[in-house]
Amino acid sequence: MSVTLQRRPASGSGFRRWRRRLRPGSFLVLFASSMLVLLPFLWMISMAFTPTEQAFGDVSLLPAEPTFDNFVRAVEDANLLPALLNSLIVGAIAVATNCVFAIAAGYGFAMLPFRGSTALFYALIATTAIPISVTLIPLFLMARGFPLTGGNDILGQGGIGLLDSLGGIVLPFIVLPLNIFLARQYFSSSAPDLAEAARIDGAGELRVFWKIYLPLARPLVAVIAIFSFTAVWDDFLWPLVTISSPEHQTVQLALTRFLSAGNIQYGPMMAGAVIATLPVLIVFLFNQRHFISGLSEGSVKG
Amino acid sequence: MDVVPVIRRTAAPVALVAAATLVLVGCSSSAGGDDGGSEPLTVWFPGTSEPEIDLVTNTLVPQFEEEHDVEVDVTFVDWADLAPKLNSAFAAGTAPDVFGHGPAAAADLVANERVLDLTDYVSTLSEEDRDDLAASLIGGQVDGTQYLIPLSVSGQLVAYRADMLEDAGIDPSSLRTWDDVRAAADELTEKEGDTITRAGLLLGTAAIQRSISFNALISAAGGQLMDGTEVAFDSPEGVAALEFFTELYAGDSAVGNNLGNDYLNSAAAQQPLVTGDAAMTLLTSQAAMQIAAAEPDLEIGVLPALSFMQPAAFGGAGAGLFINADTEATELSWDFIEFMSSPEISTAYAEGTGNIPIRASAAESEYVQSSRVLQAFLAEMPNFVPNPNVPSWTQIRDVLDAQLEQALAGVATPDAALKAAADQAAGIIGG
Amino acid sequence: MTLTSTAAGELATSSPAGAGARPAKARTRRSGSRRLARAGFLFVLPAVIYIVGFQLVPVVYGLVLSFTDYSPLARSGPEFVGGANFAKVLGDPRFLHSLLVTGQYVLLVLPPLLILALLLAMMVNKPFRGVGFFRSALYVPHIVSLTAVSMIWLWLYSDNGAINGLLEGVGLGSQAWLLDPDSALPAVAAMRVWKALGSNMVLLLAGLQTIPAELYEAARMDGAGAWARFRYVTLPGLKPILMYVVATDIIFLAQSFAEVFVLTKGGPLESTTVANVLIYNEAFQYNSMGSASAMAFVLFAFIAAFSLVAVRNFARRP
Repeated sequence: MSVTLQRRPASGSGFRRWRRRLRPGSFLVLFASSMLVLLPFLWMISMAFTPTEQAFGDVSLLPAEPTFDNFVRAVEDANLLPALLNSLIVGAIAVATNCVFAIAAGYGFAMLPFRGSTALFYALIATTAIPISVTLIPLFLMARGFPLTGGNDILGQGGIGLLDSLGGIVLPFIVLPLNIFLARQYFSSSAPDLAEAARIDGAGELRVFWKIYLPLARPLVAVIAIFSFTAVWDDFLWPLVTISSPEHQTVQLALTRFLSAGNIQYGPMMAGAVIATLPVLIVFLFNQRHFISGLSEGSVKG
Repeated sequence: MDVVPVIRRTAAPVALVAAATLVLVGCSSSAGGDDGGSEPLTVWFPGTSEPEIDLVTNTLVPQFEEEHDVEVDVTFVDWADLAPKLNSAFAAGTAPDVFGHGPAAAADLVANERVLDLTDYVSTLSEEDRDDLAASLIGGQVDGTQYLIPLSVSGQLVAYRADMLEDAGIDPSSLRTWDDVRAAADELTEKEGDTITRAGLLLGTAAIQRSISFNALISAAGGQLMDGTEVAFDSPEGVAALEFFTELYAGDSAVGNNLGNDYLNSAAAQQPLVTGDAAMTLLTSQAAMQIAAAEPDLEIGVLPALSFMQPAAFGGAGAGLFINADTEATELSWDFIEFMSSPEISTAYAEGTGNIPIRASAAESEYVQSSRVLQAFLAEMPNFVPNPNVPSWTQIRDVLDAQLEQALAGVATPDAALKAAADQAAGIIGG
Repeated sequence: MTLTSTAAGELATSSPAGAGARPAKARTRRSGSRRLARAGFLFVLPAVIYIVGFQLVPVVYGLVLSFTDYSPLARSGPEFVGGANFAKVLGDPRFLHSLLVTGQYVLLVLPPLLILALLLAMMVNKPFRGVGFFRSALYVPHIVSLTAVSMIWLWLYSDNGAINGLLEGVGLGSQAWLLDPDSALPAVAAMRVWKALGSNMVLLLAGLQTIPAELYEAARMDGAGAWARFRYVTLPGLKPILMYVVATDIIFLAQSFAEVFVLTKGGPLESTTVANVLIYNEAFQYNSMGSASAMAFVLFAFIAAFSLVAVRNFARRP
């Protein structure tokens, strides 16, 4: 009890004292490193507006003759819009399933421990260490044998299962163990007293979770949403091996259109990368405040 | 109020909904492909070169669709992704009806019964047609059986900057052997201190290209990479060829620089010949055509196939089209291949991609007639040596390539490198 | 009651602030504890079913495959070959070399990444105008796909790219970053540091924010200087999150593939051939799924050992 009280001021009065002590030196260092980190992106944006012929040997950030051609080509040639839609759909599914199942699991582990739950939790988290190269082929074969989908019968025979479908793309991302970890850590720092009070009032556990703790966990939802979305959005290898028809392509697959071996078309490629980055960036910037606080409160407190 | 039933009642549906979403998404998206009726013909082309894609999707395919009243779904797959994508599509049963791949992949596809024997279809062609295609069809055969119809022919010859040779007083017509070229390269190399500012001669030394350059050299020396399914590159001819190759890049007398740089696939404006960073480079017909188109003022000449013992150059059938052994649309698939290899279309395709046409008769076409560079390549077709068509060739090539890199970097002697590669290759063939 | 309190005790050990963050009084109502435990089990059940089904089952399946000869191109299914794949893989000098390169890569990325991330985290741990901007800006590389950023860096490192352009601009000669066996791996590593800086920083920032300000104040009163405060307050407080960061970094770094595939394809002279590049070729270029699976399991063991050793070492330090 005393500990929880003790920790609060960390983000309160302690910070207020530091505000006075911000040195211009560290501001400069921060500014410089942020610029260094952002510079490649500025180049990316600049290249996206640079005519292909001029894309080489030019390190200025402002293209001499800016053009939209690269964007037009990225969208038209790579069929980027349907691919964006596909990626958005699978991203949304992953966000939904992770927000439901990973948060529920994290909550269960943190607030409603049962015999062996700690061991179970660590077993689940340990699966993060499994290299994708171990599970890729088995998952592929399992997706092919998924019952009752893609022409398969109940035994998973006869068709292609979840292969070459959006459902197949999202299959490895339904519940990410990392999200369970974050959720569990987040809820273990929540006060248990609220639940006690609600239980005394006769509320069921699902109601306690849904009505009391989930609404308080917006930062956590933001973190998990971003993690899940980017995980699916950025994945390349899995969709590469599972998707064969162009209409089910994801954004990352569509972008390889400009990657012809050795002779990369930087202009359209970068325009495509800008377009492919925007949705994630927008999601991130809108949630930025929740995101950082969600991580800070979630990942270690507890 | 009892809690547990509430949870049971709610948690179960939640899980169900999620499972259902998955299943639905899976069903709805694959259901599209299962509609009967006239299914489109699916075709995968290897590589994502912009001019090729434009030509194929905007001109050639619409013409075929109109002539045959069908729909064709064309996908262009980046070369780096082709093998994983194709193999998983085979494993899944979603492979396209017609697909393009290099001749290097043919033997493995045949061994696994994944592609149709095209002999019967080829025999339906007129004799005139077959003669016209004869030279390029050979590249699509495995053990004498036709499995692949090439889309184009490609080759590599040494190209030079005419102005630079003239300045150095070198007559290109005097350069007929690799030793001649090496001597000229010594003259043409410019240095600032120890750094080469202008390379006299560059060969392809990026991944895979090393083995291609080496193939040209060993063939010119009278050797070969493989003798049937036996390793032959560790012969004395091979060692001599590799010694010549490494000396181009090694020590004070080096005439080449930027070992490992993939100049061959650079954009025309970045080619060392164009930037003036090299006086002579081994070039693909495609790169040579790109330079000719992009820099019309630059005088680029092409040397004939060079020799130590006999004139030889790397070349032969480029990527071509296979028919999936499991396709239900075999006739339509062949119609598409026949269309692509017809005189007019095959020449248009070669022109669009900057390659050598597959038909001998194309020599008369305006495309070839108007290009000195292309004529030079066409004239050397009899001296072209292709890659061996043996199972596991890609794997053998990769171990050879890795050892060639060791030799080029001076880490291993040519002799030791080839012996090591031969040992590893024997392991691949044996097991 | 015993049941729940052990669980709560476990939780407390993972608390960075140390000192039993969770009082055992959490569950007062003895009668409800079994009911709560059942509810908890139902809360975690869907996730457990999924992870067992789609993470653990594939691992077992993969292990089975690693004892077979299987090509996706072949029409026949996997064929049992016993331990042949493991014998082949462990006797293959190229694979052992790739494990070495994987280790080098982790060691090249991890120390600068941790030091820089910690420095930046300490700087953005103070609220000032614009701190949100810096936190977000530094985080941006993390949310852009590795394929896309690798392409940007491919251009940056290229002959006529920005890095050589800048070097020439200040009078230094250009360098073939990705073609020189000495500079290729560090060049790839530099990109990875840049990419992972933000996410590491945010996690460490989270750790910093859990350290009570009182501890710093007390240290200050004892006359501790900036270094002493860092050494005796910040570092111990960060230990749990540092262990977590180090372990996950090792796990992800040892599985690197995309950046190497785009930037160097494993060359020059196999100086950047990390294990996953070899596994990828084995599986998808040569169609040997069995030996690829065997390699993947050896890599798995390698990663597990590597991260265990790192975490142990970390934990032992005071």
